[in-house]
Amino acid sequence: MHHLKVTRGALAVYTALFILFLYGPFVVMGILSFQKGPEGGPQFPILEWSTFWYSHIFGFAPPSRIAPLPIGQALTRSLTLAFATMVVSTILGTLTAQAFRTKFRGSGVVFYLVVLGMMVPGVLLGLGMALVADQLGVARNWWSTAFVLHVVYTFPFAFLVMLAIFNRFDQSVEEAAWALGVPPGRTFRKVTFPMIFPGVLSAMLFAFTLSYDEFPRTLFTGGPNVTMPLAIYGTFAVEIHPNLFAFGVLTTLFSFALLTVYGVLMGASVRRARLRAQGVQEDIA
Amino acid sequence: MMELTGLTRRFDGVPAVSDVTLTVRDDEYLTLLGPSGAGKSTLLRLIAGLERPDSGSIRLNGEDITHRPTHTRGLGFVQQSYALFPHISVFDNVAFGLRNRLVDPVTDETGVKRRVDAMLELVGLSDLGQRMPGQLSGGQKQRVSLARTLVTEPKICLLDEPLGALDANLRERMTVELRRIREALGVTFMHVTGNEAEALAMGDRMIVLDRGRAVMIDAPDTVYARPATVAVAKFLNAYNVLDGKAEIGGFRHGDVLLPLPEGAARAAHYAVRYDLASIEPAGGAPAPGRAAMPAAFIAREFLGSRVVYFLHRPDGGVFEVERHLSRSDPVDHPKDAALTVTWAVDDVLAFDASGRLIETRRLKGAA
Repeated sequence: MHHLKVTRGALAVYTALFILFLYGPFVVMGILSFQKGPEGGPQFPILEWSTFWYSHIFGFAPPSRIAPLPIGQALTRSLTLAFATMVVSTILGTLTAQAFRTKFRGSGVVFYLVVLGMMVPGVLLGLGMALVADQLGVARNWWSTAFVLHVVYTFPFAFLVMLAIFNRFDQSVEEAAWALGVPPGRTFRKVTFPMIFPGVLSAMLFAFTLSYDEFPRTLFTGGPNVTMPLAIYGTFAVEIHPNLFAFGVLTTLFSFALLTVYGVLMGASVRRARLRAQGVQEDIA
Repeated sequence: MMELTGLTRRFDGVPAVSDVTLTVRDDEYLTLLGPSGAGKSTLLRLIAGLERPDSGSIRLNGEDITHRPTHTRGLGFVQQSYALFPHISVFDNVAFGLRNRLVDPVTDETGVKRRVDAMLELVGLSDLGQRMPGQLSGGQKQRVSLARTLVTEPKICLLDEPLGALDANLRERMTVELRRIREALGVTFMHVTGNEAEALAMGDRMIVLDRGRAVMIDAPDTVYARPATVAVAKFLNAYNVLDGKAEIGGFRHGDVLLPLPEGAARAAHYAVRYDLASIEPAGGAPAPGRAAMPAAFIAREFLGSRVVYFLHRPDGGVFEVERHLSRSDPVDHPKDAALTVTWAVDDVLAFDASGRLIETRRLKGAA
């Protein structure tokens, strides 16, 4: 009994610390984003509560010595890049995982080659890619060289997610479709894909978020037009103003919105799955 | 009509199906019986095109389909696990093949609806078309699985232990249903089962598989009355099989010498059907034409309409005697009571050293 109490207390402290470290930075950032502007800096105490920095981001604030965050185009680039990476990585990941459902010669080697993309340090990969591009005379750009590296990086994640999904997939359903005269391609579209869709959603989420805040690979291969994480990093170099925090709050809210969409879609498919699982053996009428 | 010739499939060098040759006729109910691991499912999957044979051929109505992909064979395949499409309704499950097949898809929705409705009616699921598969009971899922296959009008419908996942009560009712549905459609059923009672009850003909080989292909009553090999006899779960050796004057089984039917001088196995043996008090000399063996009573099991008595043979094995209650009342004996089991010598089946049935005088007469 006593032991149980101690364990419980320890776990409570652990959980509290965990939550503190997880949300602490965000709370501090959230509070500081409402600092008075343009005089207030990124520190306590709060001189006066205001939404100055939010309007500063959108360019509504009166002109001051503080330059607006150069994020307009960077944000568009990052979102475009993340979206394209998500689409390509998820498709590649799903197809590769599908290939791994049957053992083929050299499948072990191929597996490690694919997974290598997420194991190799990003800085090295970025530097290497930059060197290769220069050797070949290919211009570095966020939509070319950086995009390729984003796919190399996120594709293994999508692949592993889909591999786990296919591991639990019952192949007899596909065999049933073939036996009904339905060719394999159409079987994949009409049967396999709808059944693995929750997994595909997860793979998409992984690919998108990983690409969206990717830094080291983009740093070397992104070329002159920077993505969001690089743009933000660039502003640190001079001086930090609370407009960064306001922006941080906004992007976090955006992430939550994405997660909500994911959760709603996932919930819908889980509900359908539960409906399927409700089969109870009872007498046939 | 489908002809299998020398069909063989090995897994890592171990044959799962070896040299199976048989002809499946039109409009028949064929059951495929064998213990687990005998290669029943592999044989079915070979026919369906879900496995590739190492050698041999499959011809369907004269056409070689050995190397055709599954979706172009025109055969139906009903799995033990039902394998319903979980994300679409019962109606859409049944309509799936008609709408999506490569050969001759039905594009006109009223035609699909007419055929699906008729099929749901046939399997008794007319009211459940809008349900999702998860909302069905085991027996209903089985019917959907069957309807989904039959609506595509397969030339032959392969059923892989279709009743395996159902409880005993449901099983019995589905066997009747299956026969009714098959007769209504006139399609050939090839039904795999590990249950000898099911195979005997349902098939017009049955195939007994043992270690990948088709050891017997015949009508159920013939399989039951005169199994072609000792393995079949053992698997039917209806024979006491005694091992031993033929000698001058009879069959030597441990310490006892049993009379052999005429013409069975090569016997190595001696089989007596449970229901053809009887229990008598110990000591008496057997009546003419009957064989006797001492046995000690173990227990009896009441099975509703019949009783099975278990006895110890002199060599320690178990001897079973089955009595139908319409013929005699159950008799009780104290445990370990010394008794004699007897049977008519003419009812004995003798198998040679390679396990094959020896044609004895009486069997020749019966055939």
